[in-house]
Amino acid sequence: MTPLQIPIHSITLQNGLRVVIVPDATAPVVTVGVYYKIGFRLEPQGRSGFAHLFEHMMFQGSENAPKMQHIKLINSSGGVLNGSTMYDVTNYYEAVPSNALERVLWLEADRMRALKVDDENLRNQRDVVKEEVRVNVLNQPYGGFPWLDMPPVAFRNWANAHNFYGDFNDLDAASLVDVQKFFRTYYVPNNAVLLMLGDVNPADGLALADKYFATIPAGAAPPFADPSEPAQHEERRGYVEEKFGTLPAMAIGYVLPQRRTPDWYAMALLDNALHGGRAGRIYRELVLEKQIAVEADGGIDDVFGYNGPSQMTTRILYKPEYTAEQTLGAFDAVMDELQKNGVSTDELEQLKVKARSDYYSTLEGGRGGYMPRYGLMHLLACFTLLDGDPQLVNSILDGFLAVKREEIQAVAKKYLRPENRAVVFRTPVAKDAKEAA
Amino acid sequence: MATPAPEVNVAVPALAPERAVEWPKRTRARLSNGMQVVLAEAHAIPKFHGELFLRAGEALVSDRAVGLAEMTATVVRAGTVHRTSRQIEEDLRRLGADLGASAGQDTSAISFAGLSEFAEPLLQLVNELARDASLPMSEFERERRQKLEEVRLERTSPGFLAGERLRKVLFGSHPYARVSPSLEQVAEYKREDLEAVYREIYTPENALLMLVGDFDPSKLLNDIEKIFGSWAGKKPIGRDAPAPPTFRGRRVYLVHNPGSVQTQILLGCQAITRKHPDWIRVGLANSLYGGAFNSRLVMNIREDKGYTYSPRSGITPLRQHGYFSISAAVRNDVVAASLTEIFYELDKLRSIPVPDGELADAQNYLSGIFSMGLATQEGLLSQFSTAELHELPKDYLETYRDKVRALNSAELLVTARKYFDSANMQIVVVGDRAQIAEQAALFGEVEFYDNQGNRRN
Repeated sequence: MTPLQIPIHSITLQNGLRVVIVPDATAPVVTVGVYYKIGFRLEPQGRSGFAHLFEHMMFQGSENAPKMQHIKLINSSGGVLNGSTMYDVTNYYEAVPSNALERVLWLEADRMRALKVDDENLRNQRDVVKEEVRVNVLNQPYGGFPWLDMPPVAFRNWANAHNFYGDFNDLDAASLVDVQKFFRTYYVPNNAVLLMLGDVNPADGLALADKYFATIPAGAAPPFADPSEPAQHEERRGYVEEKFGTLPAMAIGYVLPQRRTPDWYAMALLDNALHGGRAGRIYRELVLEKQIAVEADGGIDDVFGYNGPSQMTTRILYKPEYTAEQTLGAFDAVMDELQKNGVSTDELEQLKVKARSDYYSTLEGGRGGYMPRYGLMHLLACFTLLDGDPQLVNSILDGFLAVKREEIQAVAKKYLRPENRAVVFRTPVAKDAKEAA
Repeated sequence: MATPAPEVNVAVPALAPERAVEWPKRTRARLSNGMQVVLAEAHAIPKFHGELFLRAGEALVSDRAVGLAEMTATVVRAGTVHRTSRQIEEDLRRLGADLGASAGQDTSAISFAGLSEFAEPLLQLVNELARDASLPMSEFERERRQKLEEVRLERTSPGFLAGERLRKVLFGSHPYARVSPSLEQVAEYKREDLEAVYREIYTPENALLMLVGDFDPSKLLNDIEKIFGSWAGKKPIGRDAPAPPTFRGRRVYLVHNPGSVQTQILLGCQAITRKHPDWIRVGLANSLYGGAFNSRLVMNIREDKGYTYSPRSGITPLRQHGYFSISAAVRNDVVAASLTEIFYELDKLRSIPVPDGELADAQNYLSGIFSMGLATQEGLLSQFSTAELHELPKDYLETYRDKVRALNSAELLVTARKYFDSANMQIVVVGDRAQIAEQAALFGEVEFYDNQGNRRN
């Protein structure tokens, strides 16, 4: 295996904006991203769901590109765009034919400089977000399970425990004043990274970044609430009703080590041993061998991108003839076995080959065939904003490949304990009750 | 949109000259057993993506039992005469590979991706699944049991219920009407049924192997010849299917989903297959209507009115027939209002020529995103396999952009009138009957169904 040598060009502009460029002229396509270091974890209290609602507002108009112009200009350049709100970062990204690069940078700079939205825009997007919540959560079997059900059970600090999609009351309470305040506080160049990947010459890219972004004034360093959790001493359990689905379900989440610690590397491989598809131990035992579960999947959500208390979570839908305790018992047997015997040399070798292969795929694609280099963009952004070092993209894989058998067994013993976990049971409401509802 | 967006008041940077789009060269071959092979190089990562397509799926066998081709695919990956299910999964991981087996209406497929250094052993495993699957009884029993739960579960998803009803309506007694089996049908699956499907569909004469990635095509072709060359078998014999029904007037199909806090709208009409000469112009008309973020439908019912999060329209090109459909999950109190706007935008596109600026924007959009897939192995595989499986002209990919750009607004008007059959659209709504029945009835006579698929009064 040859070491990775992705050519990464990065600078910091006077206003604190980090710029990262990775040239690759294979196809005449360029991916542009702007990441801001604020996600739903640290959104304001009393404004649950605000970081995500705000992300919608970023498409509603800026100083020189009024409502719809942003979307229209990207689409009519032959490109696609989107944004997403995560725990600790929010991104805005476009993939366009490379002749539209300058236009995209102009648009991203315009909305970083000045958001220009009104009450009508806010009302409109609040309605859109409510339908988003309905279609993804409230009107779906197992909607929001477990990503919205788990936090209030697992965590005690509001930052980690609140409803990230937002209570409708909080969404209704959000005002234009909140929007502009959030924008001025967190959407400053010194809290962001601009990325260009693909068909772009680094010198040209840097010159364009300078041309459009350098005059955006820096802001005060944003305040970040403390997301740390009080120590946990016992297993936590929660119970949720399933309104539509036919199968009982449960989710088990274990709190993770901090990113880029020795434990973290071992934990990531342990995650693959447990959740790596049909070869993973949980699927193999619960679905294929014991045949208790219909679905069993999960893992670490965004292993490179979390910056506060997070979990490795398993999601299980099981057959109605089994009890919750039987199912959890079978799950616990998998954990016990790992703690007792760890993984074999052969299994570890398999896990490493698969981790390497998966990492290559992340670098190339990462979000379907039509958002090239999304994965690479995300890694570069997280390593820049959270670690200050985009070059980690070239070396991080070595850390996973160096993990030893003993280390996997050690993290299994250290983290896969009841007092480090939370369990959520989501149980279908009785059929009669459903008909009456 | 009711009020046009104000124009940009500071100069938007112009587009730079376009760089030429070049599709990688494909190496084509046909093995002596009839298997077709297409290879293309893409070296961004030391991996390759592949798919072994068998040119038949549910539509060929669903008169025996709905879902049989899919169940066969599922059990195919669960054991061969040389390897157990567990060995297969561990071997895949050892090769750094992912693999899936599935079946649609017209195609069954084994798709895979892995490290280039292990291309040969991965192709050997694919070969084994394609010709030496043992369809173990225990695996079959487990999968059938799983399927029963999945069938119960899918009937609680509004999206599934809407899609199932629309397909039943649009296709009548044609096999494309059969989307998913009933519990009774699953209970009656037999291992011998799977064996028959496997023998019939999984043959080299019926197969297309497509690989995109970091490899030397001439060396790989040698490996393929060695690995797959001795596989033997004939193409299955296709059967004539009944024609789908034709419609006069709109009709509404209300699927009652108790407790729904939102209504899934899905409407559609027959359109064309991908092979049809009008395909590209229908694609452009769809893109203007509801196929892009800045399309008319999205601007209207999302960005102007806030009725819905993700409205969209599209053409589903199955091999024998294609259909046009429009979907939106909307607030319960705006079902009628949403349908009104959906038809307004449809009728407008059929009545008034598209302004030149809007047309040019849509042409740029379609031709731009067409090349997006060039940057990934997966994207290339998808484009190449679409062209092969739908038997499109050899220069389809290379000429697509020019053809999109050559269309004018008079041609689009004709196209919208011909294929967006507003007056005869079939309308499915899935939601809480008490909250939406009155609104739905404004658009045609209503047939009621429960979420188990039964007609109700």
